[in-house]
Amino acid sequence: MRRSGWGLSAVGLSRWALVALLLGNLLWMELGRGGSSRWQHLLNILAAPPRAVSARLERWREYRQERVTSLKVAQADVASLRAQVAALLAAREAEAPRLAEAEEAVRLLGLKKLLPLAFQSARVIVNVRRAPFGGMILDRGADAGLIPDQGVIAPDGVVGRLWDVGATQSSLLPLDAYNASTGVMLARSRATGVLQGLGPGKAAIRYIGNQEVVQVGEPVFTSGLDRVFPRGLLVGYVSAVRPHDVELHVEVVLAAPLDRLGLVLILPAHPRLEVQPPAEPAGAGKPALS
Amino acid sequence: MSAPPGTPKVRRFFLALLCLGAIHYTAPWPGPQAVLNTFLVLGLGPGFSSPLAGAAWAGAGGWVLEGSLRLYPHLGGTAFGNMLACLLAYLLLLRWPPHALKPYWGRQAVLVIVHTLLVHLSVSFAAGAHAWGTGWLWSLLLLPAWATVALRLHPPIHRK
Repeated sequence: MRRSGWGLSAVGLSRWALVALLLGNLLWMELGRGGSSRWQHLLNILAAPPRAVSARLERWREYRQERVTSLKVAQADVASLRAQVAALLAAREAEAPRLAEAEEAVRLLGLKKLLPLAFQSARVIVNVRRAPFGGMILDRGADAGLIPDQGVIAPDGVVGRLWDVGATQSSLLPLDAYNASTGVMLARSRATGVLQGLGPGKAAIRYIGNQEVVQVGEPVFTSGLDRVFPRGLLVGYVSAVRPHDVELHVEVVLAAPLDRLGLVLILPAHPRLEVQPPAEPAGAGKPALS
Repeated sequence: MSAPPGTPKVRRFFLALLCLGAIHYTAPWPGPQAVLNTFLVLGLGPGFSSPLAGAAWAGAGGWVLEGSLRLYPHLGGTAFGNMLACLLAYLLLLRWPPHALKPYWGRQAVLVIVHTLLVHLSVSFAAGAHAWGTGWLWSLLLLPAWATVALRLHPPIHRK
């Protein structure tokens, strides 16, 4: 019996290897034939998984890099904005006193235009009003021609009067001082009385008959009878009314913020009783005739 | 003193390796390169005791030749034609061992033609249309030289 020669013997394996060599070469030729290489197509299919993994990895790296870059840019922006905000706040803090004083000066200027009097402006350099026997010190004195009992006003209302005048400074007696007395009148009833201080920011009107009708919230003006202030300057508002014997006890909240005053106007000594606002220029307010 | 029994195989191996290198380095001269390729396929390849070894050497020669040429869009055709021609020469050698030089020349001349046709056919299959070239003519012209070398310096073992 003759052996076939294609088994697991050395000759058989050699023949199988030869066939595999020929078929492999032929398969290689077949796959690479034509314009569109099928071999290239097969390689593309085999390379698809690692290419997908590589693309995903590349996208992840780009995303991470972009995220890190965006975070760094955002942090730099935040730091820059914080520095700008801090600089602006510091500038505002530095400018705040000057701005407040400028606003007060503007209001004083407006008040000065409303009243036809020869005012003198002064700066409050010390304000110890709440201390025992305290008061306010102005930076003007006899060198500016000031004398005691000159009225002092602010844009919000009456402040007080000069108490003692030194060479270059003067002390001020505010309306809420216990020893301060000011002639006032009520806005509605025109009843007059004397305002006496009751403590910080408060005062009471004396000598108002109990037959008068006084309402809470009613404005209180100077009466001009004390010859310190002209008539009609705002003093404050009625905060409480109650009968007290034959007169009314009328409490008043002062209009001027005595704790926050920086600039004040000093009235001339012994002003006129009535002060009229300046007349409007001729022709102003009239419609033009055509 | 006789030579060891493995010596002709080793010589044939190194000669085939030398021929492979020569094919690579004679790429600028296609005529001598074709002669070397033919010598490897029809002269040395069939002399190996195993057809697998001969076909492998012939295939390697084809790959080196095509790789050095860099002309075809897809390689492998020359190697396949080389292997088929080598196997055909091996079968002929096994079936009718040569006894004289001139009949051997005639057989090798026919095998050169067949080898040329097979290579052309397989290259056309793998890479498409291509030029014939004059390598086959060089192989025929120099056939007495390389066939004589193949027969006398390294006689095929099947001839014994």
